[in-house]
Amino acid sequence: MRFDHNVTTTCGYCGVGCRLEAHAADGRVVSIGPALDGPANHGHTCLKGRFAHQFSRKRDRLRTPLIRDDDGSLRAASWEEAIALIVSELSRIRDADGPDAIAGLASSRATNEDCYVMQRLMRAAIGTHNIDNCSRVCHSPTSWALRQSLGLSGATGNFDDIEAADAAIIIGANPTEGHPVVGARIKQAALNGLQLVTIDPRRIELADYGVVHLSPPAGTNAAVMLGLAHVVLRDGLVDRDFVERRTEGWAELEDLLADYSPADVRRITGVATADLERAAHIYAEAPKASIFWGLGVTEHRYGSEVVRLICNLALMCGKLGRPGSALLPLRGQNNVQGSSDMGALPDTFTGYQSVSDDDVARRFEAAWGVSMKREGGLKIPEMFDAAIAGELKAMYIFGEDVAQTDPNTTHVIAALKSLEFLVCQDIFENETTQYADVVLPASSFLEKGGTFTNAERRIQLVEAAIDPPGEARTDFDILTTISSALGHDMGFVTPADVMDEVAELTPDWAGVSHERIGRGGLQWPVAADGTDSPILYEEHFELPGGRARLAALPYKPPGNEASTEFPMILVTGRRLEHYNAGTMTRRTANLDLAPSDWLEIHPEDADRLWIEEGELVSVRSASGRIELEARVTERIEPGHVFTAFHFPEIRTNLLVGSSADVNTSCPEYKVVAVDVRPVTEESSLTPAIASAP
Amino acid sequence: MTLSIEIDGMQAEVEPGTTVLEAVRSLGGYVPTLCFDERQEAFGACRVCMVGIEGARRPVAACTTACRDGMRIDTRDATARRIAAATVELVLSELPQPPPEHTELAAVARALDVDGGELRWPGEQHERAHDERHPYLALQHELCISCGRCVRACDEVQGAFALTATGRGLATNVTAGLDAGFRESTCVSCGACADTCPTDAITEISLLALTESESHAL
Repeated sequence: MRFDHNVTTTCGYCGVGCRLEAHAADGRVVSIGPALDGPANHGHTCLKGRFAHQFSRKRDRLRTPLIRDDDGSLRAASWEEAIALIVSELSRIRDADGPDAIAGLASSRATNEDCYVMQRLMRAAIGTHNIDNCSRVCHSPTSWALRQSLGLSGATGNFDDIEAADAAIIIGANPTEGHPVVGARIKQAALNGLQLVTIDPRRIELADYGVVHLSPPAGTNAAVMLGLAHVVLRDGLVDRDFVERRTEGWAELEDLLADYSPADVRRITGVATADLERAAHIYAEAPKASIFWGLGVTEHRYGSEVVRLICNLALMCGKLGRPGSALLPLRGQNNVQGSSDMGALPDTFTGYQSVSDDDVARRFEAAWGVSMKREGGLKIPEMFDAAIAGELKAMYIFGEDVAQTDPNTTHVIAALKSLEFLVCQDIFENETTQYADVVLPASSFLEKGGTFTNAERRIQLVEAAIDPPGEARTDFDILTTISSALGHDMGFVTPADVMDEVAELTPDWAGVSHERIGRGGLQWPVAADGTDSPILYEEHFELPGGRARLAALPYKPPGNEASTEFPMILVTGRRLEHYNAGTMTRRTANLDLAPSDWLEIHPEDADRLWIEEGELVSVRSASGRIELEARVTERIEPGHVFTAFHFPEIRTNLLVGSSADVNTSCPEYKVVAVDVRPVTEESSLTPAIASAP
Repeated sequence: MTLSIEIDGMQAEVEPGTTVLEAVRSLGGYVPTLCFDERQEAFGACRVCMVGIEGARRPVAACTTACRDGMRIDTRDATARRIAAATVELVLSELPQPPPEHTELAAVARALDVDGGELRWPGEQHERAHDERHPYLALQHELCISCGRCVRACDEVQGAFALTATGRGLATNVTAGLDAGFRESTCVSCGACADTCPTDAITEISLLALTESESHAL
């Protein structure tokens, strides 16, 4: 046999949730293939899931705990020493400044069980609601808006809606790169007749397979969504029966829509009237149609409001609660859905149960044997502000490289430096561990058990293919050990025990257990008898009265706009080959396929700014400046430039300021005013003739 | 309305549109296949999944034949097995070495009892030609049996349209980007081709050494 250990597990890259067959030999993963019965991937996977696993045994993996010495360097330490230091420092700070001087971050790459244990550690062992996770900086606007409009924080259907739908809108997402298996499914569906509308300032690959592509400038999605709704109303395409029976707020919305005629929308966005009308008709007239969106919708000043406008459109057209008619946010990281579901949020316990709800809080207090405040804690950006203000003294950051991925890097680093004590729990040293006092060696998804919840609300099993390297431990083991050392014994023996507690304390997860999840997964809400929910809202919405709420929200300009000093708009996103901060993919041969980031710029802009293909350019914003190679492409709209954020040596997020979503504090990563110019090593002193007319 | 069929004497009810191969497999039966992959449209090219049908003049390909009401299927039909075995024998005769043990082709050869032993029809064989320019994917042209599964995986599963069959007759071979290699083609490195390949003509570079040790162990 070529392999000595085979497991079926769930991919740790992106929110699609591909089921994988992982094969190991001699304690290393040697090959990964797709599980033929994977509900989201149907026997397919991408180059990240299939090939990018060598990072798990890379030489620079953290193998022992590290402690910051007096001379400022990190030295190897024993687990006993590291844990003793964490306990003494966190206890000292809690005694001196109170539990709210400590904050924790859970990870959207970690399992549900890890995230649950992490939030319980902060809430019960430390005594603070200062717990958040990285979905704050990606899909928190989606979560918030779906709860406001429809009731539950998750996709209303599942990926089988791709094949079931007659038409689909993709807005602010580039699935063939960001969610490759879903991208492939959408592309196949389009080749087989799915009518596709794409909306993005970049001409994404799927636009080539669609019927209409709208390219509004970054930050104007709201105007487009309102324009589509206007056309639906004007042309008599509203599902009056659905609106009447199942929604509220129609009169206000109807009034507002009068202001968003195609001519109005064209003034704001430049989108041609005929294209807008065509798009509205494709969606509204299709018997079954779905809407997909990604961070191009959420990471804006009014991202959460645009998600509500997306809900409006689906509600007006009655396209919810049945196969093929769904709202499907494409979640970024593998467990961005689950980390929030598990209550790694400052204002909610598991299943979005409010910490301010007395009945809920009492239930958790009884289960954990502690008493808790009824006011929520700090969100990620507030944590950094509090650290700089001297109110937050310690952080415990688990599986997140905030110094590379969070906006306004300078501010983040200043915050990390102001802390008295920082614990990082990760698989590699990274930009953030540079400021850590203790670094704990953790495990990757290939080395632990538990569950991830994908973008379909599907809870799927994760099984270890190999052991953590050296003295590294599973996150479950580390966090429960530290909790006990702090005097709060959680009483869990395995991650399955954690899920049993989640089921006990969370009505929407009542019937979830590892045993029941099996190979097919379970889509929450899961009733006590194990019945799950592939489609939400078939009969009623999860809001008082069972009605969805339409939102009459006008278009407002983005927080960042082009100016004389910063005339271009930078949009950031993902490349196919890499994943987020790149900590994992940069340590695989994916680096050979894509060795660096680059800046995409339209030929007209390149010409005007004297930028040549492959030339080094400087990109400067009000917050910072970076340098990278330019590539000239018509895939980006004039006036915009695009790059990813996978490489610490480029450090794209230095450019992003502190502008954020008004309801959720999700950073406005997608609209950054910048100045772009070539970097010349020396002055040429030679006149040149412009090629532009 | 379902269709009543009989497979090797066992009664079964299937939905209209079910193929004979699907019906056999749903009952846990075995029919060897080479060009079939459930993720792709049935292709019906390899003539290995032959079965006998009562009343039919000759065996049919199970993957492309739809069940009909009252159909009686014999997966052990002697003519069908003879055609399948001869086909696989011919396929093997073109390879310069036996396919690696773990591959589908090797398994089918074992099932049809044409693995090892003397080939009845020795003749021209593929020449060894390897392409390892991609960091993950290796092409071993001499193992390609032109079943087309990789091309269809690339087209029908991923939609990258990077692979094509080039050449004719014995020289027919699968190439990425008209032989420019995976990297210079529209390949997105998803690996669906390696996943479906029944012979390791396309495989993972990291598995080459492991597969070699497997062959030595035989």
